[in-house]
Amino acid sequence: METSLIATLGLLALGVLVGVVFKVLQGKGRRVSSREIIDLGKLKAKNNALPITDYGKKATLVQFSTEYCGQCPGVRRTLSQLEYRLGGLRFAEVDITERLDVAAHFNISQTPTVFLLDEKGHLIYRMGGVPKMHQLMEELEKLGVK
Amino acid sequence: MTELKRIDARGPRFGAGITSALSLASFALSFQFGFIVGYPLMALLFVLFAWSVFAPKSHPYQLIFQKLVRPRLKEPTELEDPRPPQFAQKVGFSFAILGTLGGLLISALVPIAAAFIFIAAFLNAFFGFCLGCQMYLGLRRFGLIR
Repeated sequence: METSLIATLGLLALGVLVGVVFKVLQGKGRRVSSREIIDLGKLKAKNNALPITDYGKKATLVQFSTEYCGQCPGVRRTLSQLEYRLGGLRFAEVDITERLDVAAHFNISQTPTVFLLDEKGHLIYRMGGVPKMHQLMEELEKLGVK
Repeated sequence: MTELKRIDARGPRFGAGITSALSLASFALSFQFGFIVGYPLMALLFVLFAWSVFAPKSHPYQLIFQKLVRPRLKEPTELEDPRPPQFAQKVGFSFAILGTLGGLLISALVPIAAAFIFIAAFLNAFFGFCLGCQMYLGLRRFGLIR
């Protein structure tokens, strides 16, 4: 009885642990030092189903999504509202379902992944998973988006 | 893009709750009394997963959810693409195959498969985190699925 009870409780605890770790790490952002320029045209980025090539006056958010991604539509809505509400911010989305080369190039292993670009299109910050909004707002403020 | 019938995301999560209970029971039973006792539940999971992969509309989870659970819930705030949970069901199905067929050869595969199914279903039901959906891109990038 003992061992199977311990094993079962252990499995349950593992589930809770993984869930909590996931909640904490999910959407955490990190700075990117490469300062690679992200070419929206080449990525075939879209905004409201229309192609987009120009950056926001102060910053641009690029969301990478897949068709299978359950949380992508919600994040898209949130970020679109942000674009609407804040001045100088543009939002673009890239569907990478059939474009594994893009995923490999940027080392994207989960969707949504959100890139933050500065006014010249340099990648400066990235978030894997559903972005933590307070963190994102801080980063946007540093770029002068309010 | 083709228009898909969007679903209430709480449906799959409700199903995942039942799945997590079944798989935890299968794990505990095969640990305590040997795989032969945990095996029937694994076989049941196999049938349920196969059902949702091949005929999701008539699935008992769906019917229970629509008849008994959904009328007691508020209207959903948003509807979701059905493909991520369907893909996750396929991942679950492959583990159920491992448990049922592999379990006949190596009995330890029953609790092992049950443990994997439990973790995935538990995370989906209680943390809203769909492991199968998240893995999709990574698996494709490493060429494990097409």
